[in-house]
Amino acid sequence: MWFVRLLSSSIGKKLIMAATGLLLVLFLITHAAGNATIFMSSDVFQSYADELHSHPLIVLVFSFSLLLIFLCHIVAGLYLFFENRKVSHSRYEVTTRVVKNSFASETMPYTGLIVLLFLFVHIFGFTFSPKDVQISVTVKELLGNFFYALFYIFAFVALTIHLSHGFWSMLQTFGINHPRYNTLISRLTLGIPLFFLLIFGGVALYFMTGLGAHY
Amino acid sequence: MSSINLTLKIWRQQNSDALGRLETYTLDNVNTDMSFLEMLDVLNEKLTKESKDPVAFDHDCREGICGMCGAIVDGVAHGPEKEVTLCQLHMRHFKDGDSIVIEPFRSRAYPIKKDLLIDRSALDRIIQAGGYVSVNTGGTIDGNAIPISSQKAELAMDAAACIGCGACVASCPNGAAMLFTSAKISQLALLPQGQVERKQRALAMVEQMDKEGFGNCTNAKECEAVCPKGISIRNIARLNREYLLAALTEG
Ligand code: HEM
Ligand code: FES
Repeated sequence: MWFVRLLSSSIGKKLIMAATGLLLVLFLITHAAGNATIFMSSDVFQSYADELHSHPLIVLVFSFSLLLIFLCHIVAGLYLFFENRKVSHSRYEVTTRVVKNSFASETMPYTGLIVLLFLFVHIFGFTFSPKDVQISVTVKELLGNFFYALFYIFAFVALTIHLSHGFWSMLQTFGINHPRYNTLISRLTLGIPLFFLLIFGGVALYFMTGLGAHY
Repeated sequence: MSSINLTLKIWRQQNSDALGRLETYTLDNVNTDMSFLEMLDVLNEKLTKESKDPVAFDHDCREGICGMCGAIVDGVAHGPEKEVTLCQLHMRHFKDGDSIVIEPFRSRAYPIKKDLLIDRSALDRIIQAGGYVSVNTGGTIDGNAIPISSQKAELAMDAAACIGCGACVASCPNGAAMLFTSAKISQLALLPQGQVERKQRALAMVEQMDKEGFGNCTNAKECEAVCPKGISIRNIARLNREYLLAALTEG
């Protein structure tokens, strides 16, 4: 009963967005940590990937949970987007936004969709890559392509923008807003997305520029 | 004292069913010491003398405490000054030759009755759903019989500063009524008197808010920026907390 009530209310749907958003951020942290091994050497990265895939059950459970989390986030996000579209953006002859820097909050569904598009490309490229080629080789081959890497960087910029509103918004939705912590929160809201951009974008840039040619 | 000449573009609409449009009026020699509403009074006098229909707008106290007045002035609720109601906005903030667009507060939940006059009873119904404390009346109790920390009292007072003008809804890109509802829930949730009905209140008021057709908050912060009473979105965070807790334990 409480679950139905939560799902059908406006705040409940926001809580779904926030909870799934948090889980996605946590996933990204582990993913970034794993990918950072690329900077050490192809052997370290390959052994990390092999170790991970030597536990097929864990990989399977995590993959499906992740799929579910993404689906919830996307379905709830699109639902809210279309609900809010009923409030016409042209309801006034003149509209002046008082809040500065509202770009990220206004473009959440669009930056989200760019990330989704990226996910398709990413999963197609890496998860369903030929099994007989080592993943460390696939990474180098795909990201060595200038435009492939450029698309990756573009998507990571979109993710950074998404989180530059999303991270703060998530905490606000959870009810975390206190003058004592708000400075810390705004620093994290800038720092965490930039951290992702640095690691993920860095990997793409590493191969794009040829720096990683002999990694 | 100085005076300015203005071009006013005002939303005129005969009734809720009629189609409305912006009409242009010129108003000369507007005393800059006048408030925005006094400027509209002068316009209405002029219109009346010309046997035209005066512009309908809401107002009452004209000192920024009742919450009756309000319009969108050049795209901003209550006009360009921070933390003032329309009645407390003065014409000295405008320049000679300015063209000012005046539109009613809009929301799916606010039917326009006439011109700038809107029906905000949706907000009243949110209050009726639970924005009160039930007491068994008896003798008046002693003022300090219930101890309240000054910090709690201040926060409750800040939330209680909401005059219910509805500017938050009108300027929210999603037409959400979260700032209003959160202020009304916070002012009671923070005080001991509000504890008994605390969870029921959060559930009932949010349910009513959703029923009235207000939008979903996306934390755009526009409400806080235009609120004439400077109500903080920290109240919205509190509302989210109150609601989650109530839904998990009462629902
Ligand atoms: C790894 C990928 C992603 C991460 C880490 C992420 C994270 C977040 C976070 C933390 C929020 C804030 C939640 C809140 O406001 O309470 C959010 C909001 C949102 N996300 Fe994502 N997201 C991701 C992918 C996506 C995708 C693929 C979409 C597809 C449409 C999407 C659409 C949205 C929308 C529309 C919102 C705004 C909801 C609102 O403000 O009401 N996101 N996201
Ligand atoms: S008329 Fe009372 S607040 Fe403006």
